[in-house]
Amino acid sequence: MKKRVRVYLLCGLAALLAALVTPASMAQEEKPFAEQKFVLQISDMDPDKQTLVLNVASNIIKYYGPDKADVEIVAFGPGLRLLFAENSNAGRIDGLTQSGVRFAACGNTIAKMTQTLGNEPPLNEHSTVVPGGIVRIKDLTDQGFLLVKP
Amino acid sequence: MRTKLSKKLLLISITWLVVTLASGPANAANWLMLQGTEPAGSADPVRVWGFVQVQYQKDYSDPNPAGGYIPPKLIQPNWDSQSAFNVNRARIGARGVAMPLDSKINYFLLLEMGNNGITEPGGSFAKMTDASMTFNHLKGARIRAGLFKYPGSEEGLQAIHVFDYINFTWATAQMMLERFPNRDYSPNIPAQPLPPEVSLNGFDDGVGAFRDVGVQLFDTFKVGESWELAYAGMIGNGNGLNFSDNNSNKNYYLYATAEKLFGGGRGPRREGLKFFAWYQDGKRTADLTNDDLHNPEDYDRERYGVGVKFLRNGWRATAEYMKGKGMIWQAPHNPSFGIGPGQGNPNAPGNGAFAKANGWYVEGGYRFAGTKWELDARYDVYNRLDGDRFEIKFKRTTLGVQYFFNPRVRIAFNYEFRSADAVNFPSGAGPNAQVGGIDNRLGVQITGIWSQ
Repeated sequence: MKKRVRVYLLCGLAALLAALVTPASMAQEEKPFAEQKFVLQISDMDPDKQTLVLNVASNIIKYYGPDKADVEIVAFGPGLRLLFAENSNAGRIDGLTQSGVRFAACGNTIAKMTQTLGNEPPLNEHSTVVPGGIVRIKDLTDQGFLLVKP
Repeated sequence: MRTKLSKKLLLISITWLVVTLASGPANAANWLMLQGTEPAGSADPVRVWGFVQVQYQKDYSDPNPAGGYIPPKLIQPNWDSQSAFNVNRARIGARGVAMPLDSKINYFLLLEMGNNGITEPGGSFAKMTDASMTFNHLKGARIRAGLFKYPGSEEGLQAIHVFDYINFTWATAQMMLERFPNRDYSPNIPAQPLPPEVSLNGFDDGVGAFRDVGVQLFDTFKVGESWELAYAGMIGNGNGLNFSDNNSNKNYYLYATAEKLFGGGRGPRREGLKFFAWYQDGKRTADLTNDDLHNPEDYDRERYGVGVKFLRNGWRATAEYMKGKGMIWQAPHNPSFGIGPGQGNPNAPGNGAFAKANGWYVEGGYRFAGTKWELDARYDVYNRLDGDRFEIKFKRTTLGVQYFFNPRVRIAFNYEFRSADAVNFPSGAGPNAQVGGIDNRLGVQITGIWSQ
């Protein structure tokens, strides 16, 4: 009995750790029935690009449906501004998150910006920090995600 | 006593806490936010923009019975003909965030190169109309510093390139668009033949352009699902577009709005029902006495107003009432603010130094859905030197049509039915000898806005 409980606890802990440390695998687990998979890249400073990438995400979800489309927006370089907590598109990001869109923030860019600003920029609560934006994109494309750079 | 003060301080603290907690990014900007702040995290470091307005105006006023014309019967800003083409505004500006990674500091620059009251007199090639920085670090209390539009009347505060008419209302043009007295007393300029023998503009400086150099505290708050409150308090030199002050007095400005948002439109065309009120107070130093001495005095200048603006589903309606006390400007050819016995004597009837004035307007417009056409109509009244023997009542009805080639380029046609009457004088007598012949005006204006 005690041994069974210990096994259950260990399995639960393993599952919890897996969820925390393997964002790559989360993509398939998040949308298990998704037939269409898109990774959208934003790496530009241009505010029009911010609007465009959010529009593209919204259009994909609208066309295929939130359950049939798996969309992740990866922001790195100057494009990371989209995921700043104060960004004026926060409301749209909130809405897209509720439709299942994920937002990944490049850790390398954050480190560089921290160095420049003297403090780490606060990020949108819906963003997940990944070690590298390009690496994240590579991982997703290896899993069959279509890369789109609006 | 100590208990009462503590309670007051506690109440103020709680109020500030509630307001601060309720504040958040406004859904869409109002004039305070549109001019001088940038969308957080999504603004360009540098965005170059500008606009051009090219117009033609023809005035149908009669000359004075004794001959000659006064400025209300001529085309501004040169006051030398009754019909003219003009590039009345040509502005280029840059705005953005000082540093892309830090949206908290914004800047706004604008340069005027058109031919209008800003660059005339003096024939300036260009004049800086805006040079400001905004610091958005304190929630509920943004700080804007530099040269920029002070918070005030709707026609003055709103962006001129989206203004729906060619000319301001009488009250805005005369009571709010400030002219600054010359350093020394300057006599009135008599009515002039065409072409004028001397310039009918007796002022040395250009108009204030609804701007001042100073510091403003402001912000906008969302309240509930669809209400937005905004406030602004500013202290400035009270010297218009001049970078320095000409006296030690300062001008104070207060402004507040409450707007019910309807959810449609954006930026200047955001749909809502807005209630607004404003107040400004200051002193002007002027030598208005005709005594061959340089003996300037300080004169109070107070202005205030309330209004409401509605915009929804293509319909627009605005109403505003404005009042002024002190430094009531008469006309470009009366640079020391006096007419009749008031000329050179601030204490005599006909002098604007201590006078009052008031004005109001109602206007409306409808943009036909699915088309590029809009109809506009406005009625405005201005009572200058209210209660004075030389009081003049100005009235105007403006009918307008606008055609939008695209959202940034439009052509406007205005026809104004104008009249002026010195209410205490019979027809043709006293000031009526000059203003009695003020008549209608036709205007056509093309506006082109461009932005990176």
